Amino acid sequence: MASSLATAPAAVREMQSDLESQANALSKIQKDISKNHEVRKQFTIQVGENELVLKELELLNEGANVYKLIGPVLVKQDNAEAKANIKKRIEYITAELERMDRALKDLEEKQNSKKESLFGVRERL
Amino acid sequence: MIALAVSALLSPSLPTSPPPPPLPPSPSPTSSGVGQQAAMASPARIDVDKLSVEQLKALKEQTDLEVNLLQDSLSKIRTAATRLENATAALHELSLRPQGKKLLVPLTASLYVPGTLDDSEKVLVDVGTGYYIEKTMTQGKEYCERKINLLKSNFDELLEMATKKKSIADEMGMFLQAKLRQASPSSSS
Repeated sequence: MASSLATAPAAVREMQSDLESQANALSKIQKDISKNHEVRKQFTIQVGENELVLKELELLNEGANVYKLIGPVLVKQDNAEAKANIKKRIEYITAELERMDRALKDLEEKQNSKKESLFGVRERL
Repeated sequence: MIALAVSALLSPSLPTSPPPPPLPPSPSPTSSGVGQQAAMASPARIDVDKLSVEQLKALKEQTDLEVNLLQDSLSKIRTAATRLENATAALHELSLRPQGKKLLVPLTASLYVPGTLDDSEKVLVDVGTGYYIEKTMTQGKEYCERKINLLKSNFDELLEMATKKKSIADEMGMFLQAKLRQASPSSSS
């Protein structure tokens, strides 16, 4: 009995530090989730803009000139090349968005499991 | 006098004009996060009576935030639409002028250089992501009109969403007040 009494406060302290570390991990995951949201927002904006540009390019008949702004220089571009470029950009950004979605799901699962383990530790305390 | 032959440049560059999230042909949507928040807020509304005062307060604050976001987006769309309308007016003015007309070209905000109008039939349109397309004057006007119509439809949808959210927020406010009155019925003498 005496030995269990002696180990009790140590166990309590250990559980408290465990709780702290789990809480820290949880807040880190939440920060990651909000960062993920920000990046996804940016990507969504970009993909929307690129789709607009693609639509405009498709409306053009072949004769019209297309220019691209590279730094301070307006460079004449080939119509087909510009379309291909934009399409590739859209594909890339959509792939990135999907990757972000998967990462977000992972993070949310981790967040939920961390919350549950946190509750468990708190109850034991 | 520097006689600059200037081919009419047009760049009605759209600022990030945010349409409502569930819109397929959308110019630069701002927050798909808003749509997610909206979806999360609606199921909780059903059992609002069972919520405690604290939870109700938190929910109301969240809805208020969403309403503010939507109002912000609405004003941004309005600004973008105004800029486009200015561009249309400028285009129209330009088309009226004859070739060879003297004009002043802004090089910086305070430096203007005299020039002559070369050809107002061709215009360069900024379509976004650094691409410029050469169009005829009529095509340019059509482009502006198309963009303005797109923005107007986005604005209407967003307005609808915003009013709905605002009514939800108001209802929650009433519920909150009722709850508070319930919680302290002995306030009267």
